[in-house]
Amino acid sequence: MGGKVTCTLGEVKQRADFIIYWGGNPAECHPRHFSKYTLMQKSKFLPKGRKDRTMVLVDIRETKSVKASDIFLQVRPGKDFELITILRALVKEQQVTDEQIEETGLSREALNDLVSRMKAAKFGCMFFGMGLSMTRGKHMNSAALLTLAAEMNAFTKFVAMPMRGHGNVTGADVIMRWQTGFPFGISFNRGYPRYNPGEFSTIDVLVRGDCDAAFIIGADPGGTMPQPAINHLKRIPTIVLDPHITHTSKLARVHITTAAQGIAAPGTAYRMDEIPMPLKPALKSPYPSDEEVVRRINEAIAKKPFWLPEGSMPQMVTEQV
Amino acid sequence: MSPTASKSDTPLQVIDNATCTFCGCVCDDIQLHHDEMRIHKAKKACVLGSAWFLNHTAEKKYPSALIDGKEATVDEAIEEAARLLHEADMPLVYGMSNTTCEAQKECAALADSLGGLLDSHTSL
Ligand code: SF4
Repeated sequence: MGGKVTCTLGEVKQRADFIIYWGGNPAECHPRHFSKYTLMQKSKFLPKGRKDRTMVLVDIRETKSVKASDIFLQVRPGKDFELITILRALVKEQQVTDEQIEETGLSREALNDLVSRMKAAKFGCMFFGMGLSMTRGKHMNSAALLTLAAEMNAFTKFVAMPMRGHGNVTGADVIMRWQTGFPFGISFNRGYPRYNPGEFSTIDVLVRGDCDAAFIIGADPGGTMPQPAINHLKRIPTIVLDPHITHTSKLARVHITTAAQGIAAPGTAYRMDEIPMPLKPALKSPYPSDEEVVRRINEAIAKKPFWLPEGSMPQMVTEQV
Repeated sequence: MSPTASKSDTPLQVIDNATCTFCGCVCDDIQLHHDEMRIHKAKKACVLGSAWFLNHTAEKKYPSALIDGKEATVDEAIEEAARLLHEADMPLVYGMSNTTCEAQKECAALADSLGGLLDSHTSL
């Protein structure tokens, strides 16, 4: 996500008068997004709150979020990339044929109207969900939308932000970037981090059967991944850390129950705009925290010999440099 | 934290501005009313958030650890996990969605010291 044009939700709350949700259903998946950050809040710059803001929803079907929107654009499934590309062309007043527009399931008037509204906005923000980033085109769709946001800055202030779900996935990105330089899909098998999604991403690794042990924490691939990946998890020794006995725990060799983050375990979680939030656990769990268990596993492994054959230790920045 | 009266006789403790980590909004204005065993009320939280807070308790519902389906102590499970991971040539460290940044940092260290793979939900 290097070079992404973005901002914090605080700025959106204070300034964004034009909001696009693309491929997401915040009304049901992020219920307080509208009220807390994007639509309902009044601010110095938007004193009338909701009335000062325009909300556009782009999705392949009508969801509960449509009710909250001013304009709903129903894009044909799998045509998000085409639609974004057409918008990028229209913004720059380049030629787009009727057939190209028709392919997306939308009309030229609707798109011209959208483009003129985008240009007229004082502060535009596009939120994109899994409907964009997990369907045909995947990260190319996100990249195209981020480019559109960047290009809009020739006319007005425009930003884009992914709608992250699933607890602290944003934190996982941030921590991996901080520790390794890469956000996900990392291999340390040469002694230094390398990044190659598709080769080192979990589904691919499991389906090919590339790994010979798995350590699963704060996730349940046994309930969500394709069957060949689950079959491989069954074949190899799998270790699970979770507050519950999950699908994955049932096929694992080792399960350790841990305290639930934010409820019984303290720590930090990242909001979707990459703002870290301290957690305030209310309960005292009979179980240890994830942090403690992983640290103790690390200590137990540190007592064992290093994994490379003797003499081929990579040059590491340690005491004996 | 201050005790307040509630419908039952035991006063509930209140935590102001608690953080909900169920979705990416990470709302940090939740008021939790709890009696140390369970959370009875999560004010300001949405339906998803209150379900998340109210469904977790401090009860010991599950065994501390399982090795090959049999109950074990945490110490044994940690030793066994370390052994299995150390023996592997290409271990995978995956997930890190529902956990804290502090634990995520330990996971990065784990994959590093094992010479293994490190990946999160983002790659799906
Ligand atoms: S209270 Fe609702 S909107 Fe806020 S973080 Fe929790 S689940 Fe998300």
